Amino acid sequence: MTAELINEIFLGAAALFVVLAILMFYRVVAGPTTQDRLLAVNVLGTNTVVILALLAAGLDEPWFLDIALIYALLNFLMAIAISKFTVERGGVL
Amino acid sequence: MIEGLVEAIPFFEELRFWAIVILVAFGLFFTFVSAVGVIRLPDVYSRAHTASQTDTLGAGLALAAVALALGWQNATVYTVLLLFFVFITNPTAAHAIARSAAESGITPWEKETDEEVTSDD
Amino acid sequence: MYNDGRAEGVTVAAERILVPLSETVTVRQTVGYAIRSGLERADDLECHLVVALPSDREMPEGQTEVETARSLLSRAESWAREDADSSSVTIETAVLGDEEYLFGPRDFVGTFSEYADDHDIDRVVLDPEYEPGATAGLLQPIERELEAVGLPYEEAPVERPARHEQLIGDGTQQFDRLFAMFWISYGFYLVLGDPTYWFDLVTGAAVAGIVAVALANVTFTFPLGRVRSPVRTVRFGLYVPYLLFEIIKANLAISIVILRPSMPIDPKLTRVNAHVRSGLPLLALANSITLTPGTLTIRADDQRLVVHSLIASARDDLFDGALERAVRFVFHGRESAAIASPRERGDAEIIGGDEL
Repeated sequence: MTAELINEIFLGAAALFVVLAILMFYRVVAGPTTQDRLLAVNVLGTNTVVILALLAAGLDEPWFLDIALIYALLNFLMAIAISKFTVERGGVL
Repeated sequence: MIEGLVEAIPFFEELRFWAIVILVAFGLFFTFVSAVGVIRLPDVYSRAHTASQTDTLGAGLALAAVALALGWQNATVYTVLLLFFVFITNPTAAHAIARSAAESGITPWEKETDEEVTSDD
Repeated sequence: MYNDGRAEGVTVAAERILVPLSETVTVRQTVGYAIRSGLERADDLECHLVVALPSDREMPEGQTEVETARSLLSRAESWAREDADSSSVTIETAVLGDEEYLFGPRDFVGTFSEYADDHDIDRVVLDPEYEPGATAGLLQPIERELEAVGLPYEEAPVERPARHEQLIGDGTQQFDRLFAMFWISYGFYLVLGDPTYWFDLVTGAAVAGIVAVALANVTFTFPLGRVRSPVRTVRFGLYVPYLLFEIIKANLAISIVILRPSMPIDPKLTRVNAHVRSGLPLLALANSITLTPGTLTIRADDQRLVVHSLIASARDDLFDGALERAVRFVFHGRESAAIASPRERGDAEIIGGDEL
């Protein structure tokens, strides 16, 4: 019984994380600078990773974690690449 | 001895359940704080604070809850790796973003009222 | 000529080296190399760090030049002391050429050789990016002139950012790097895969081999110690719980500030001169500072950290330097952890936003 309850809790938490991720879209749209948007997208990405992990536990699909790991890697790479690129436009990264 | 263990197991189950609930709750709380911070704070540098730190802690706590729920199996190793990864990359990304903001010449927001006071000391 | 100073097998009692400095990306590594190579050759080292100024003191730009030269020298001196650790190294600093107008490589070398004669210098260690004054590309002519006056010189083998030259290091160091990198990546691969399945074992070995060859020099920019590196890893394990505790404590403080409707934040930029080595220790410190809420590292140029702090209490914690001590503990052991806080050293200051 507790196992089912735990799954419910995870799914509920994932739903709340989705709500928080959607809130982050305000900053993505509002800006005002590129860095603000980038930051918001980065936070959104971290939230997505957490949502994936929570779903993996809640739905009992451990392979979701693979996707979460790749997503975390890409999220990091995106933040570094864009912030480098905004500084050295077209230069050597 | 064996009876003691059998009696202890439901207790541990209970303990694990509440630990998971608390971790998820705190994870949600800190992620909420970071969302509020990113929306409310005045400039990109202050936003980077909550984006990197509070959010990292929130994500870390939620991932710890997942690891605890999965128990001792291969997937838990993934979760722990993910946790480490988030803890290392998030501050680095925030640093890169703040640095890029600094190099594109964005000046930090400061409180106007006590500017005179602080420049004296 | 290149090898002149390297008298094989002869360990002289004291070695005197001259290191001309200028504000370059490789100046930190040059100082490090000078100290290391000097100590390999002799037990006693006298290291003369000098800055040659192109214009003389009377000229309007001369004054500021002297000031920047002095700040570079004081930084270089602290680097040298750090690298020397406990070995007996005498460090002298001097500003050269502030009384005459130096023009062209011949004048610079003339000043150096005069200084070398006065102080009995054995050899000169040159920064490959050395640029006295504003003139670029003076290195080759300076080397020719040094050869002409018969002063042994050596170019410091530095790793230039974004040029990725091969690092210094003999065979065993290279092997250690490859070895460590191989097992780290192989372990990572097997954690993600299945350690009992032969296919994963074979592909993992191949991938780890490629990663080790391609990235060993990028990952470890410092020589690994066979004893020290594992010990550091253990000490790092002790550091993590402490850091976690700090993170949670500071996060609660920040949460309260942000959730208050009035939001009493007081953001300020600060500059802190950290007393940790460049590379991994500096990375660990900068990341720890960023992870502790209320403080965010914006820049880390050599040891000068520019840190943005959100609230006053976080700023105080930063100036008390607890994290810096912890990082020193991880990398250098217990006894080097006991140093004065940045506030006491006068290495911490609040700066304006326009000084970024």
